[in-house]
Amino acid sequence: MAESEKDTGKDPRTLLPKNEFERLTDLLGREPNYVEATIFSIMWSEHCSYKSSREVLKLLPTEAPNVVLGPGEDAGAVHFTTHEGKEWCLVVAHESHNHPSQILPVEGAATGIGGIVRDVYCMGARVIAVMDPLRFGDPRGEYAERSKFIIGGVVDGIWGYGNPIGVPNMGGSCYLHKGYDDNCLVNVVAVGICPSDELIHSRVPAVAYQVPYVFVLVGKATDDTGFGGASFASEILDEEEEFGAVQLHDPFLKRVLTVATYEVLKEARQRGIEVGFKDLGAGGIVCATSELGAKGGFGATIELDRVVCSMSDLPEEVIACSETQERYCWVVPQDFAPRVLEIYNEEFQLDSVYPGAGAVVIGRVSSEPVYEVTTREGTVCSVPIKAITEGISYTRERKGRAGQYPRPDINFNRITIEEIKAVLAHPDVCSRHKVFSHYDSTVQGCTILGAGQADAGVMAPLPGSPTAVAMASGGIPRYGLMDSWLAGAWAVWEAAANVAAVGARPQAVTDCLNYGNPEDAEVFDSFVSGVEGIAWACREVGLIEHEGAPLPIISGNVSFYNESAGGEAVPASPIVACLGTMEARRVLTPQLKQSGSRLILIGAREGKLGGSVIYQLLADTLGDAPPDLKKHNLGGLIGAIVSAAEEGLLLSAHDISEGGALACALEMAMGYDGSGRLGVKLKLPSQVDLTPKAFFFSEEPGFVVEVEERNLSKLSKKAQEFQVEMVEIGEVVSKPQFSLSLRDGESPLTIELDELAESWLSGLEGVLL
Amino acid sequence: MKPKVAVIQFPGSNCEEETLRAAIAGGMEGEIFRFSRPAEELATFDGYILPGGFAHQDRVRAGAVAAKEPIMDAVVAGAEKGKPVLGICNGAQVLIESGLVPGLEEGDVQMSLATNLMGDRLGFYHIFVHIAQSSSQGSNITNRLTPEGVVLPIPIAHAEGRFVTANQKVTTSIESGKLSCWRYADRGGTLEEEYPRNPNGSFMALAGLSNPKGNVVAMMPHPERVCWLWQVPLDLPGEWGERRRKATGDAEALDSEGPGMVIFRSFTEYLK
Repeated sequence: MAESEKDTGKDPRTLLPKNEFERLTDLLGREPNYVEATIFSIMWSEHCSYKSSREVLKLLPTEAPNVVLGPGEDAGAVHFTTHEGKEWCLVVAHESHNHPSQILPVEGAATGIGGIVRDVYCMGARVIAVMDPLRFGDPRGEYAERSKFIIGGVVDGIWGYGNPIGVPNMGGSCYLHKGYDDNCLVNVVAVGICPSDELIHSRVPAVAYQVPYVFVLVGKATDDTGFGGASFASEILDEEEEFGAVQLHDPFLKRVLTVATYEVLKEARQRGIEVGFKDLGAGGIVCATSELGAKGGFGATIELDRVVCSMSDLPEEVIACSETQERYCWVVPQDFAPRVLEIYNEEFQLDSVYPGAGAVVIGRVSSEPVYEVTTREGTVCSVPIKAITEGISYTRERKGRAGQYPRPDINFNRITIEEIKAVLAHPDVCSRHKVFSHYDSTVQGCTILGAGQADAGVMAPLPGSPTAVAMASGGIPRYGLMDSWLAGAWAVWEAAANVAAVGARPQAVTDCLNYGNPEDAEVFDSFVSGVEGIAWACREVGLIEHEGAPLPIISGNVSFYNESAGGEAVPASPIVACLGTMEARRVLTPQLKQSGSRLILIGAREGKLGGSVIYQLLADTLGDAPPDLKKHNLGGLIGAIVSAAEEGLLLSAHDISEGGALACALEMAMGYDGSGRLGVKLKLPSQVDLTPKAFFFSEEPGFVVEVEERNLSKLSKKAQEFQVEMVEIGEVVSKPQFSLSLRDGESPLTIELDELAESWLSGLEGVLL
Repeated sequence: MKPKVAVIQFPGSNCEEETLRAAIAGGMEGEIFRFSRPAEELATFDGYILPGGFAHQDRVRAGAVAAKEPIMDAVVAGAEKGKPVLGICNGAQVLIESGLVPGLEEGDVQMSLATNLMGDRLGFYHIFVHIAQSSSQGSNITNRLTPEGVVLPIPIAHAEGRFVTANQKVTTSIESGKLSCWRYADRGGTLEEEYPRNPNGSFMALAGLSNPKGNVVAMMPHPERVCWLWQVPLDLPGEWGERRRKATGDAEALDSEGPGMVIFRSFTEYLK
C-alpha cells in the first residue's frame, strides 16, 4: 500500500493512545501517516466505534416479527400499516448532543436535530416528527444562572432549527436536576415514514460490481467546523478548548436540500435505479464513504481535490473528517450522477441558496476492499476499508456500588394541601407547557395530539389512512441515582405506558444511554445494569399482536463521558423512546371528559416510595426501596389499557408517574394547559391496606382512567383477563374543585382546582422566557 | 371546471404540501410552484397561495427578500387583475413586505409584522387561538361563506406575527371597514386586545388583513392545519372541541370538515 508522499511535518503518534497506535501499525503492516492516524482517531473514538459498549449492547432484544430494519444503519424501521396496497414502515433514530449543548446551547441543540433528521431522511423516509428528551441542571441551585442560560439556549435551538425545517416537534421530556449542572443531556429522536420496500440502505448496491458507481457529496461547502466532534463527544468536557468542535447549523439550507433530495429519490425510484445514501455526521466524508463502501463489500477512492471547500488551505485530514453540517453522500451509477447534480445545482439552485452549496462527484466505488484518499499530490490514505469501519472493542471492568437508602421520617398518615401544591409545582411534575409551546407541533398538518397535550404525541402521517402513530419518551433521573437497572427498565416501561395511555400499541423502542466515563468500573457497571434493565423490560412489555415477542429495540446510541471536570458522572440516564400504532379515531387524552364518571386506578400498589417526588420534597432524600418492577405485570398493564381503549371503554387515561396517583388524577382534572373545568373527588379505597401517602404518592407502574359507570364491569373483566389489579379511587364532578377523603367520617380536604393549577403552571416560572 | 391555484414554494417554505392538500379539499386544482420556474408561468393560474415557512431564511426581515423576487412581480400583476392571493404566516409576511397588504397605495409598504409581544415570554409561540371575522360576509376572499362574527379555533406558529403600522390611513381604513380583517378573540367572539388571548400583541388584535379590493389577504394563523375535524385538539374548549369529542370513535365524523376549511372553500367560491 502506498504511503503518503507528502510530509506534513505533523506527528501521527500524538493522535492515538499508544496501544491503539501499535494496533493500527499492526493492521497496516506499517506506521500510519498523519491523515490516516487522524481518520482512525475519529473512527476509533467511542462515539463512532462503540468500543466500550458494543459487547454489552448485544444483550438488547432487537428481533421481533414487526421489525423491518434493526439497529446497524443510521435508523431502524418497524412495520406501520398497509395503505393503498403498500406496506409502510416507521423509521426512527435517537441520539444525544450533550457536550455541544453544554458549550453552545443554541447551536448544540440545533445541530442535534439537524443530525437526527438526516439519519432518517437518508433512509429514504419522510421525517414526520422529532422529540427532545432533555435533562438540565438545577435552575435554582448552585449554578442557577448557567443552567437557565443552557435551558433557554437549548429551547431556542430546538425551535430555531426544528421549526424552519418543517418537522413537527412532539415534545419529549424535560427534567431538571443538579446532577446535570455541569453536563446537560440533549437527546433527540426523529421519526419518519417510508414504504418498506423503498427503504434506502447506507451501502453501495451489489450491482456496482457490474456498473460503475460514484460518490456524490451534496450540501454545504466543507469547512473546518465540527472537526474532531466525534472525539469531542468521547471526552470529558473542558469548556475552554472546545468551541471549534461544535458544528454550525443551517436549517434553511437543510429545508431546500430536503425538498431537492425528495426529487432525487423520486426519480431514482421511478427509473428503478439502485442507490445508496448516507448522511454526513461524525467523521465526515471518510466515515460516510467508508461505511457505504464497506457495508456493500466494496472499496472506495475519494479525490479530496474535488470537494468544494468554503475555506482555503484546509489540511487534508480536515477536509476528510470535518463535520460540516447539512451534507449527505449519495452513491449512484456514474451515468445517473449528472442528473443528480442537475437537480441540486440547477433545479434547486443550491449555490444561490447558500454560497458554495451544491452537489459534486467526489470519488468512485472500487471492487477492491481498500479505502483510498487521493489529492493532486498523491495518495494520502490507503488502508483496508474494514479496518476503518469495524473499529475496535474494549472489555471494561465492572464494580458494583451498593447504595444505602434509609426510610425517611415523615408523616405517612396525612396529606396536606401544601404538600399537594408542592408536588404539583415540583419541576418533575409541573406543566411543561412553557417549553412545549415554543415547538411547532402542527406543521405538516398531520398532528392529532401535539407536544404536551397527552402522554404521547399522535399523528396521522398518511392522508386517507385510518392508522395513527404515537410517540413518547421515558426515563427518570432520580431512579438513575439509585439503581441503574431500575432506571433502564423504568425508561422502557414509562415510554411504553405513555404510548398506551393514548390508546396505542407499543411497537418498538429506541434507547440513548447517557453515562459517565466507561473506564471507571462503577460507571461501567452502572451502564451494563441499565442495559440489562432495558432488555428485561422490553421482554416484559412485549408486543401485543405477537405473543412471546419482545418489544424490540430498533435503534439507539451510547453517550459516555457525561461528567464534569470534577469527575462526577451524571445520574445514570438511560432514555428510551417508544413508537406505537393505533386507530386514529380512538385517541385518548388525560383530560377528564364528563361529570359523573368514575376514576379507576389500574395497577398494584405496594406503596414503595423510594425515589419519589414526595420523599424528595419532604425529606430531601431518595429514601427507602424504590418500586420493584419485577412485582408488577408490565405487559398485562399495557395490554389491559390498550384493549380497553380499543373497545371504547375509556373516556380518558393517564399513566402514573412523578407525583403518583394523586398528581395523575389532578393533571387529568386541570388539563394540559390548566383550563380543565371538571373537578374530582378522590377517596382512599377502604380495601387498601396502605397509608394515604404510600397509596396516593407511590410512583409504581399503573394508570388512572376515567370510565362511565355502565362500563365498569367490562373494565373489571379486562383487568381479570390481563391479570392486573384495579380499584375505584373517585369520581368526576361538575364543580371545578378537588376533594380528598382519607377516612370515613373525616371531613375531606377541599380546594379549588384553579388554585392547584396555579401551582402546577408556575413550576418553571423564572426558568424559561 | 375547477379553478387552478399555485401554491408558491420559496426556498425555505415548509407548509406547501398541507396547504395544497387543503386547497384541493376546498374545491380547487393546484400545484406547488417552485421558485426556480419562470415567473411568467404564474399567469396561467387563477389564484395564488403563499404558504408558511421561512422564505430565504427570513433574512433582513421575515418576507423581505421573497417580496422582491420576480415571482412576486407576477403575483402582484395577478392581484391587480383581481386574482385572489392568500398569504399564510410567512406568506402573510411576504404580502406585507411586498405592499400588497394593506395595499392602500400601490407598492408602498405600510405595515410590518413585528416580533411578538408576549408579556415576559420570548421567541416562537405555537398555540391554538380563536379568531373572529370582524368584517361583513364577502368582503374578502376568505370570508365569503361565513357571517360577520363567526369564530374559528386555529393554531398560530410564529415569532414575528404582530401587525403594526405607523400609518394613520391604515388605522382609519380598518376602522371604516375599507380593509377587512380577522381578529383574535375569545371563543365567544369578544375581541381581545391583550396578551395572552391576543397571542402576539398584534395591533387592533389583527390576525389577518385584506387589501381594499378584498382579493389579497395576509393571515398569520394556519387554516390549512385545521381543515379536518381530527386536527382539532381533543380537549379544546368550546363548540368545535365539543364536536371533536363527540366524534371520538367515529372515523367518518372525524374526517368531516374542520374550522379552517371554510377559508379555502371561500377562496374557491370567489373564483366561481
